[in-house]
Amino acid sequence: MKGDGPAHRFLFPQWTNSLRPWLGVVLVGLPVYLVVLVWLGGSPKTTDVGYAPQQPVPYSHALHVRQLGLDCRYCHNTVEVSAVAAIPPTQTCMNCHAKIRTESPKLLPIRESFATGKPVAWVRVHDLPDYVYFNHSAHVSRGVGCVECHGRVDAMEVVAQVAPLSMGWCLDCHRDPDPHLRPPEQATSMTWTAPGDPREYGRQLREASRIEPSTECWTCHR
Amino acid sequence: MSTAQLLLDNTGEDPRRRAPLVLGEQDFATVTEKVCGIVERPRPPRAWYVAFGVSASLTAVLFAMLGYLFVTGIGVWGNNIPVAWAFDITNFVFWVGIGHAGTLISAILFLFRQKWRTAINRFAEGMTIFAVICAGLFPLVHVGRPWLAYWLFPVPNQMQIWPQFRSPLLWDVFAVSTYFTVSLLFWYVGMIPDLATLRDRAKGTVRQVVYGILALGWRGSGRHWHRFEKAYMLLAALATPLVLSVHSVVSFDFAVSKLPGWHATIFPPYFVAGAIFGGFAMVLTLLIPVRSLLQLEHLVTLRHLENMAKIVLATGMMVGYAYAMEVFIAWYSGNPVEAFTFRNRAFGPYGWAYWLMVFCNVLAPQVFWFEKVRRSPWMIFAVAVLVNVGMWFERFVIIVTSLSRDFLPSAWGKFVPTPVDLLTLAGSFGLFLTLFLLFLRFGPMIAMAEVKSVMPEGGLELGPHRGHGQYWGEIPHQHEQQFEEER
Amino acid sequence: MRARRLELGGEGRVETGPDSIRAAADSGTSPRSAGAGETASPGPGEQPGVGGGDGKGYWRSLEELTQTPRFRTFLEQEFPGLEEELASGASRRSFLGLLGASVALAGLASCRWPRELILPYANRPEGLVPGVADRFATAVDLHGAGVGLVVTSVDGRPIKVEGNPLHPASLGAASALAQALVLQLYDPDRSTTVVRREGGQAVAATFEEWDAFAAVHFARLAERGGTGLAVLAEPTSSPSLHQLRHRFAARYPRASWVEWEPLSDENRRRGARLAFGAGVRAQLHLAQADVIVSIGGDVLAEGPMALAHARAFASRRRADGLDMNRLLVAESVLSLTGAAADHRVALPPAALEGFILDLAAELAQRGVAVPWSARPLSPPGSPARRFAALAARELQRAGGKGLLLAGPRQRAEVHALVYALNVALGHVGRTVSFTAEPEGEGGGVEELERLAAELEAGAVDTLVILGGNPAYDAPANLGLAELIGRCPTSVHLSLYDDETSVRCRWHLPRAHPFESWGDVRAWDGTVSVTQPLIAPLYGGRTALEVVAGILGHAASAYELVRQHFAEKLAQGDPERAWRVALADGLVAGTSLAPLEPALDAEELATAATQLADLRVPSGLAVVFVPDASVHDGRFANNAWLQEVPDPLTKLTWDNAALVAPRTAAGLGVGDGEMVRLEVAGRTLEVAAYLLPGMAEETVGLPLGYGRSRAGRVGSGVGFDTYRLRTSGALHTAFGVSLERTGRSYPLATTQDHHAIDALGSTERSRRLGALVREGTLAEYLADPEFARRGESKEGVRPLWREVKLGGEHQWAMSIDLSACIGCNACQVACQAENNIPVVGKRQVLRGREMHWIRVDRYFAGEVDAPRVVFQPVACQHCENAPCESVCPVAATVHSDEGLNQMVYNRCVGTRYCSNNCPFKVRRFNFFNYYKNLKPVEKMHFNPEVTVRGRGVMEKCTFCVQRIEAARIAAKNQRRPLVDGEIVPACAQTCPTQAIVFGDLADPTSRVARLHRDPRSYGMLDELFLKPRTRYLARLRNPVAGEEEA
Repeated sequence: MKGDGPAHRFLFPQWTNSLRPWLGVVLVGLPVYLVVLVWLGGSPKTTDVGYAPQQPVPYSHALHVRQLGLDCRYCHNTVEVSAVAAIPPTQTCMNCHAKIRTESPKLLPIRESFATGKPVAWVRVHDLPDYVYFNHSAHVSRGVGCVECHGRVDAMEVVAQVAPLSMGWCLDCHRDPDPHLRPPEQATSMTWTAPGDPREYGRQLREASRIEPSTECWTCHR
Repeated sequence: MSTAQLLLDNTGEDPRRRAPLVLGEQDFATVTEKVCGIVERPRPPRAWYVAFGVSASLTAVLFAMLGYLFVTGIGVWGNNIPVAWAFDITNFVFWVGIGHAGTLISAILFLFRQKWRTAINRFAEGMTIFAVICAGLFPLVHVGRPWLAYWLFPVPNQMQIWPQFRSPLLWDVFAVSTYFTVSLLFWYVGMIPDLATLRDRAKGTVRQVVYGILALGWRGSGRHWHRFEKAYMLLAALATPLVLSVHSVVSFDFAVSKLPGWHATIFPPYFVAGAIFGGFAMVLTLLIPVRSLLQLEHLVTLRHLENMAKIVLATGMMVGYAYAMEVFIAWYSGNPVEAFTFRNRAFGPYGWAYWLMVFCNVLAPQVFWFEKVRRSPWMIFAVAVLVNVGMWFERFVIIVTSLSRDFLPSAWGKFVPTPVDLLTLAGSFGLFLTLFLLFLRFGPMIAMAEVKSVMPEGGLELGPHRGHGQYWGEIPHQHEQQFEEER
Repeated sequence: MRARRLELGGEGRVETGPDSIRAAADSGTSPRSAGAGETASPGPGEQPGVGGGDGKGYWRSLEELTQTPRFRTFLEQEFPGLEEELASGASRRSFLGLLGASVALAGLASCRWPRELILPYANRPEGLVPGVADRFATAVDLHGAGVGLVVTSVDGRPIKVEGNPLHPASLGAASALAQALVLQLYDPDRSTTVVRREGGQAVAATFEEWDAFAAVHFARLAERGGTGLAVLAEPTSSPSLHQLRHRFAARYPRASWVEWEPLSDENRRRGARLAFGAGVRAQLHLAQADVIVSIGGDVLAEGPMALAHARAFASRRRADGLDMNRLLVAESVLSLTGAAADHRVALPPAALEGFILDLAAELAQRGVAVPWSARPLSPPGSPARRFAALAARELQRAGGKGLLLAGPRQRAEVHALVYALNVALGHVGRTVSFTAEPEGEGGGVEELERLAAELEAGAVDTLVILGGNPAYDAPANLGLAELIGRCPTSVHLSLYDDETSVRCRWHLPRAHPFESWGDVRAWDGTVSVTQPLIAPLYGGRTALEVVAGILGHAASAYELVRQHFAEKLAQGDPERAWRVALADGLVAGTSLAPLEPALDAEELATAATQLADLRVPSGLAVVFVPDASVHDGRFANNAWLQEVPDPLTKLTWDNAALVAPRTAAGLGVGDGEMVRLEVAGRTLEVAAYLLPGMAEETVGLPLGYGRSRAGRVGSGVGFDTYRLRTSGALHTAFGVSLERTGRSYPLATTQDHHAIDALGSTERSRRLGALVREGTLAEYLADPEFARRGESKEGVRPLWREVKLGGEHQWAMSIDLSACIGCNACQVACQAENNIPVVGKRQVLRGREMHWIRVDRYFAGEVDAPRVVFQPVACQHCENAPCESVCPVAATVHSDEGLNQMVYNRCVGTRYCSNNCPFKVRRFNFFNYYKNLKPVEKMHFNPEVTVRGRGVMEKCTFCVQRIEAARIAAKNQRRPLVDGEIVPACAQTCPTQAIVFGDLADPTSRVARLHRDPRSYGMLDELFLKPRTRYLARLRNPVAGEEEA
């Protein structure tokens, strides 16, 4: 160019050289970070696990299941025949609480409901998207234990979500059910453990009762 | 012959001397002045403001329409079943097609040593970038649930699901994004020396710093030039196959399907030819007004225009051949459904669109057989505009006529565009022109360094290789700059 | 099926009443929705889950997260060397902070949808299992006789209507109208309160006020012996109501009880009286008939026994057994029966009324003892005569196994002569038998005229209107609307506050059939109990209860029905009998015994001469026909029915003046042009629709549109053709003038969306042969594989190694085109089962109707005497499905059991699949068609099917929810699935059982056998799609040598 150019030309000052490695870091790091964000940040593992909302009645599974030894099906009695493991009607509570702790303030909502016939408004803990069709009976009657998805409910004062209940998590088991199977009659046991190698034991169960978990879309989405 | 003509007419074919590509009393300084002057003048001509005002408001319309679309649903367009794709994909293919000329001119003509490209390539590359931006818009907004469009990218997720790699739409995602990236790099790299020039001439500090950063500290040293030319060469080589691949892949959207009128093996070459055709037409459409507006006749000479006109003529006839082939195959294949599709194109409800397409794309360019027409900018401009129209309708005809009447007569339908369709189309032109005008205002719209290299002083005429073999030639001011460095 | 009275309520449900319904609808388990951002809205006073104590969850889980080995390895891959940093506390926390911040963002941005409440029963009814559907038998009064239904109810919400397999009038099928009752039940436009109108303004009132008023008012009337009291009721088959009617007569001897229904079968009844001198009704046994000759009418689609008739007719149309029957139809307005005919002649009304004489004459010539001196009416060589000759020959050849029918729009005389000829031809006892009219013969239009006169004279001061909508549908010349308005005390009991209610002093909301106790009698006499499936949503009352109130001793419908049945079910254990009756949906052994009525010769002679001397003005004639969608207008506010296309015109959201193309050409009228009709000084502007197969000089006018107070859906839709209808010409009006207006009107049809140009129509007729394959019985016998002629023997060869589908079952469907009569039952069934949205007229005009199964209707042959063919088309579940390979997000993929799965929640809506579908059976949600629904509207949703949001593609799923339900049930019981256990909604309701679904993997299954049938072919086989839905070629049985149809 003409001589007048160079006098005031902008060139990168010396110190900018030190930024070069960082440039590399950003170029590589940013995409990776974004992927991590979508992958982990969006995953129910992050958002849902540990969800333990307050219930209108502080019902303690720890007390009723572990100490009093109620079977899951005493309350959730439709679990073997229906898609939903029904939340028990107020009446079920009153079977006992008509006589026990009839004055307890904690049980007031129960007594009210029983008197008025209006339901107790429980808060759903394990909440699948509305386009997912999970069927309890199909799993329980094949010998998938309650504990597989709900965790040690018998240890919970307040019920919390322990599994991510994400699609990938469902698929993991549908693709490899063996370690998660048990004899159906043991389904509600919180403490059952497989005799010997769970995977091997599960394989025998699966082959014995022809359990073929499907991974077709319409198995869960309709 | 008057001197003026002598100055401006370099179209003659005189075997004794190489036709000059830069006319008038030009040396490096004047070229630099000319090009930089456009950017440096305090305020652009009124015409620029008018154009910018119009295109900017059209862009606003575009985004208003897209907003409306997002909150309401695809139903705001005229699409229906069976015509599930209409303006959306038509616009997409149209803009992708436009986006071809730039890289073709820069990369392929570069590799073929077509020196006349130098005056127009920057311009065309810019156009490419902006066209691809417009194109990229439509695949994203045409989906029913745009907020989930990211599912098209293979990102690991808790659903343990990947996109479906058999789908041409997914190939599009990769093809277009790759093409965009490479074109952008190519464009930018080529611009670096000129940005440096702008930087060096810049008065205001802001401009100095901005151009300075963009120029990446270019000092024009020998090493710089060496690296630069290598990089440019590599990118050119990289871009060349992409020019062909992108539109081939886009054509797969149709060729791979089962639909009569889409399901044809001729599509990839047919689409590529069409893209180059449309791309060049768009370059001409933009270049000719700009050229006269900014008095660039000495740099963008009639010879340039004539060459492009020739290319338009050639590619236009390729496209015409493709049209003929489609019809022939439809008959020759003996497939009655296919045959009807083409009868229906010509004589069905959308016949008018078909004949408009044939007129604009096949008949109109034939006037370029005449030297007179080839050498009158405004005639070229008129044809170029027709070709743009024709190319848009080509895509419309392919997509809509095929969809509206396929296999089961009971499911036949008809597409009628809504105002939203039309405004979105207009808006996409707005976006395109806005970006383009901004480039005119703030970027080196002509590759000064390259133009200089094809000037007599550029040494090609005198230099050892006479322009054969290496391309950039020995450029004196390099020595100046190097000299300064060493001082 | 269990018999039980149900309270509304259930898992996630509470007791009745709109507010609690909101809770139900919002508690997630009911209306399901697709895709993020489309989920059910939070209930009142609920916050989204993020925030409050819940936010902590992220941090805790993140801590845990970073401990898991998977995360460690992930870090190893993504951040080499970061592992150590993690170990050292500080930088670890900062990293977590970094990650956590963004994670929290992501969390807040979307992830947790509104928290849901679970509202269990306080006291769950015994035997009710939340989440498991119950099915209850009931019966409703449609077309003046009972039809048995089975209603599916989920958690106390009736959601699906099917036919009762045990019921003689249903045999498991249900008509489109019956199925749409469930939508009517949840219609937000139903009237919710008693309304009292004083001096032009309406006041909301209560039933208490009405009772108080009624007690006094009717007591006074009773003292007067009912002078000035009149009841205007719709005809009903309810035995209990008839019992009450006797008590009414006893209490109000001087009161009058008038019955009116715009589409009555009064002519049939009067005809029977003419022929036999007594009230007699004919029972048709179509399955026994070798030859059926129908004069007008629509035996397959009209009347209370239509479903049974269709089933019986179709049972003789299939090739198996080869004893195909033959159907000959003479009619003026193209009907479904006409479309199914082997031979058909389109006669203008005048010629049609005389046709019976021509037929009688031809029979007499052939030595049949016609009980009157038979002289033909039409000139020799006329179409009528030629057809009469053909029909006579066939009837005689049938040798007593023929059947002669007349439609309800034929004169009483025609009916009389038809009865007589059936007797003369020896059909009685074989193809037709006679039974008594169990509840008397009911009134007719004369009664209505008399009532009008009395109102005119002011002789009636109290008018009680039980149901119906006389102000809208009474003959125009009576001006009943205005007269009702004049009546000092008028009461209207109806579902809607409609045209009649607005003119009455009192409007009483009526209980919907699914909300009420009652009883009905089927055409063959079988009595059924109507049991409620849900407590009245708006506390409506039934006609029984209102009449009981009028009679002075109010009682609930339940009590009334119980006590009526108390004596009926006396023998044995009455309680048990009652429960069995409820469970079965009918009272066994109540069908009527056949009679042997004797002909009344001279009455017949006079009838014949009257018919012969009939002189009608020449020129255009108008024929009023029931509308396939809204019937007589009572279903005008039913969106499902408004949008289901008319079987023949494919018209939605409108009726139109149906004209033969040739006649239209003569008048210069174009398709969709507005024309002005004038009948005896009354004019109506209506859009013309050119319908091939109409008789010349004939205008068909469907009734039931142009309602002014139908509701948000039905008001102002179509044209009110009642305005041309007078008591003198209820069915056919002569001397009509038609003039063009030049204005055109947009008619929304679902086929030939826009008028097809010459190029298109020629191509269509060229392709027809390959798409809808037909042949005659003769052709079939010559070459059973005639349908596959032209297909290359070895079929199409694959270019690639074919995918082997490994599933235990291989689902497939077979559709028999010889059985399909084109009624829309399957379309409505599908709509109800799969939560398919209604889009409205403007969207249909754009070509965006959503029906998963459509019934394609094609005309073949020449325009004046076309053959009509129907072809139900839903997703064909191609094994090589073109839609699957093009979806970029794998939202539609193939299952190992051969199902073409569409996953709504994965779909991003590129619509590429639809472009690549050769059948164009995929449907796209261009908008969110279920935006801001009222809670009560959400109640009809089937919870087993996702409610699709906007931007999502959808299509037929073979009712996968039913497949999965059956599969899970079978596996829970450790037993294999049995063939026929899984029935998709369309197949379940198909009156002719044309659709069969099943498992190809089981070679003995019905569908496997049908796929092997020589008539079976796949549409567009040449594309090598290998569709799982295959069609059975249509067979016709024309007389050799005679031109078809």
